[in-house]
Amino acid sequence: MAKLKSVKEFEKLHKQLTGKKNPKKPSIAVCAGTGCVALGATGVVDAFKKEIKRMKLSEKVELLITGCHGFCERGVVVLLRPEGILYQRVKPADVPEILEKTILNNEIIERLLYEDTVTGKKIVHEKDIPFYKHQDRLIFGSNNQINPTSIDDYISIGGYSALARVLSDMKPEAVVDVINKSGLRGRGGGGFPTGKKWEYCRRAEGDIKYVIINADEGDPGAYMDRSILEGNPHSVLEGLIIGAYAVESTEGYIYVRQEYPLALEHFTTALDAARKYGFLGKNILGSGMNFDVKIARGGGAFVCGESTALMASIEGRVGEPRAKHFHTVERGLHESPTVLNNVETWANVPVIINKGWEWFSEIGTDRSKGTKIFSLVGKVNNTGLVEVPMGTTLRQIIFDIGGGIQNNKKFKAVQTGGPSGGVVPESLLDLPVDFERLTEAGSMMGSGGMIVMDENNCMVDVAKYFVDFLKDESCGKCTPCREGLIQMSEILKDITEGNGKEGDLELLEELSWVMTETSLCALGASAAFPFLSTLRYFRDEYEVHIKEKRCPAHVCKALITYTINAKKCTGCTLCALKCPQDAISGEKKALHEIDQSKCIKCGICVDACKFDAVIVD
Amino acid sequence: MDKIGVFVCHCGSNIASTVDVRKVVEEIKKYPGVEHCENYVYMCSEPGQQLIKDKIKEKGLDAVIVAACSPTLHETTFRKACQSVGLNPYKFESANIREHCSWVHSDMKRATAKAVKIVETLVEKIKQNEELTPISIPVTRRALVVGGGIAGIQTSIDIANSGYEVILVEKDSSIGGHMIQLSETFPTLDCSQCILTPKMVEAGHHPNIKLYSYSEVEDVSGYIGNFKVKIKKKPRSVDFDKCTGCGDCMTNCPIHYEAQIPPVPKYSDGIDPDKVKELDKIMKKYTVGKEEVPDKEMLILIMQDINLQYNYLPDYALKYLSEKLDIPLTSIYHAATFYTAFSLTPRGDHLVKVCMGTACHARGASRILEEFERQLQIKHGETTPDKKFTLETVNCLGCCALAPVAVIDDDYFMMTPNKVGTLLKKYSKE
Repeated sequence: MAKLKSVKEFEKLHKQLTGKKNPKKPSIAVCAGTGCVALGATGVVDAFKKEIKRMKLSEKVELLITGCHGFCERGVVVLLRPEGILYQRVKPADVPEILEKTILNNEIIERLLYEDTVTGKKIVHEKDIPFYKHQDRLIFGSNNQINPTSIDDYISIGGYSALARVLSDMKPEAVVDVINKSGLRGRGGGGFPTGKKWEYCRRAEGDIKYVIINADEGDPGAYMDRSILEGNPHSVLEGLIIGAYAVESTEGYIYVRQEYPLALEHFTTALDAARKYGFLGKNILGSGMNFDVKIARGGGAFVCGESTALMASIEGRVGEPRAKHFHTVERGLHESPTVLNNVETWANVPVIINKGWEWFSEIGTDRSKGTKIFSLVGKVNNTGLVEVPMGTTLRQIIFDIGGGIQNNKKFKAVQTGGPSGGVVPESLLDLPVDFERLTEAGSMMGSGGMIVMDENNCMVDVAKYFVDFLKDESCGKCTPCREGLIQMSEILKDITEGNGKEGDLELLEELSWVMTETSLCALGASAAFPFLSTLRYFRDEYEVHIKEKRCPAHVCKALITYTINAKKCTGCTLCALKCPQDAISGEKKALHEIDQSKCIKCGICVDACKFDAVIVD
Repeated sequence: MDKIGVFVCHCGSNIASTVDVRKVVEEIKKYPGVEHCENYVYMCSEPGQQLIKDKIKEKGLDAVIVAACSPTLHETTFRKACQSVGLNPYKFESANIREHCSWVHSDMKRATAKAVKIVETLVEKIKQNEELTPISIPVTRRALVVGGGIAGIQTSIDIANSGYEVILVEKDSSIGGHMIQLSETFPTLDCSQCILTPKMVEAGHHPNIKLYSYSEVEDVSGYIGNFKVKIKKKPRSVDFDKCTGCGDCMTNCPIHYEAQIPPVPKYSDGIDPDKVKELDKIMKKYTVGKEEVPDKEMLILIMQDINLQYNYLPDYALKYLSEKLDIPLTSIYHAATFYTAFSLTPRGDHLVKVCMGTACHARGASRILEEFERQLQIKHGETTPDKKFTLETVNCLGCCALAPVAVIDDDYFMMTPNKVGTLLKKYSKE
């Protein structure tokens, strides 16, 4: 591959690569995202390679190893084109049959099809499956069309044409203007208008300016950034180069979490390939623009997602935030003007350039434009990554796309916005999801984690979980956050252990107010939100813990006991065998009993019992 | 033989809630030499003291033990009480069953047994006690301060200002000690000279302070109030009456004057050369162009590589980095303990990470963690004694759809508590 010296040369390459493609040639796209790999995708890919070779099909069929398709619950997912047939939960043993029946003889294999959770009907095509049907995959849609390690694949689906367009006919100011008009807002949490950020940075004085990709996806329960980086790294890189052009930056960084080794690998490959083609380096596509990207790896600290902490970390220091007397767009990395945007935000940029701001601003709601990728996880049937236009209601996301709650349990709440967010209860299920609506409901958009909870999730426990999480992740620099979280955690621990007192809730509210008003960075200032929002919607649940010393969801260990239902117990001895504490005794075929003094409430007996005879109360 | 009386105090509920005082009385009554034993709610109260006095008279006791709080609180109280009815105050002993027993234990049975033991020990001690009578001897009102650092100087000034004579002995040629060698002091960042020099001058000129610099204490004998001290003045060949401290002799001395600060040993001198080579190799990756050593900015990346290679950050490696990159060791440790990716202790052959992300939490991750902890018999953050497994938690693995998830080495697993045993078995064979 040779360096492209001009936009013309790029267009030639683009034509050549698109021309090579035969849309009618059967292709097999195997999802090899982290979820599917955990479910055995590597074995499936190997089986395909072996079988294709054995059956001498390598000329007839194309094997595509792609990034995440989003439908992780049903992994390993295999998509067959051109028909668009989707096989789910594929095992290596299914591979020969797929090749023989479906590829060679156009036969559908019933058992590998998706079965609708409501109607029980088998669905053949990807586009008809409710999980995909209700989505609008602007950013995420390309994931199943390309091999993420191949730059040619990306170019063949129109990749880098936005960059070429920007370099050949747009002034930097015009690029900022387009992003501004599109109404794109940061996808990382706060929802700051991206165009404004770029404009401020453009205007700020400084010899060097930096652009950074924030891939320190720290919110637990969100993994869309990982999947974009793993599945389509070039789209993010293209966005970054366009951003660099717009603010006239010559040096970029990507800050990746250390927990994402595959994302790092794919992005590194992408950087190398982009350098070879000349999308990075000196005189990019003959435009005179110089730009290159360096990689910084995170060290497993949540606070490093915060802009000033992230920049401190890149500078080789401890990732502690600083007070923002100056915004990072004026003085960021190395005291120079810096634009920091989230992975998903950067990935939106080429789409906007290609399709125009008018088109983009039609999607979404009044003040939140475009689509948003959510990680729909927790107690929902179809877990995975879903991309929907802003303004889609929670009900549509959880019930239409997500297929409702697992095991026919009752929906209780959905947690959004990670540790800075909150919960949204059932009464607000028809809330259109955008930045403003979620904030009004006491939660926030955050990076897009959507954790569905059912009746078996305790809201006090959820609040305690986030407080403990933040307590561990607080950098310790400012007092309200460091000490406040410790105190909150202690009080919540007391409540979950049956030692809650009258007045605890009022004390927690007061503490929350102090932390919100006086913490140095957003981590501390928003640390009380999970508590406040659970209190707002589930105050009765807190009160039951405090006054009646009961946990209605049966989660808080100190407040529950395990007993055996005499009517249901058959005396099969299975629970006694599995009990790690030898706390269960009983003769064969006779009623068993749990010794409460030995019981550690691990719940293994509940899982073991086939007759639902273990009662938790 | 002495007639010993033992009085056991409840101290309200302070003692009585953990120690069964009645049981103590019962046991002590049986102990040889004990004439009388009883308990009372507050021995230190007026009625309590009266009780002791009455019993001394009534039973003709000639030794008394009160089992109560620490002697620092009420030893004098009881001694005085004993003395008031004619008992020698040194025939009294305090048995500490509060600070040493009831406050620090919770098991009543064992605390009671311990209290009995404590009292019995004191009974044996008091059997050996002799009657003592205080005497008066004259005291030399002069103080010796050894060492002319900031503490010694200040002590000397304080004593001298109270009107006593002070002898200040300093082994070096000038007082000032370590503090005078510092440029700034914690926490105000004042320069140390600004604080110290006025005090040095004050000590030098104080009429009550006699300064022996370049001298050492050779021998101390005697007792409180009447010590005899031998001070050795080292030879200096200078007539002190004439010397003005101009320093000319030092500059003109043919033997070159050298700083007295010993050279700081280099860390790299003590490290195995092979290990240095390995570390240099890692650092080389991060040098750009003609640089000898990487930029300070590369610190975290270098530490990540070291952590990856050795599975932890060895102490020597951090010291070596500090020296090479010219970054204070404290800053390096700050980073090493800030980022959870780093470990300061060696990890086991297999690294088990249990995801504690929200999605995993909602689907019962804490049960998975507990099961790992139970089966490996370690807590998270620890390594098994056979160094096979290290158990850690992670905030989110980004594999939320499959929750709850754990990673062993580089493989992801969708977990159930039942699966823990099978996985551990599989990996312990490898």
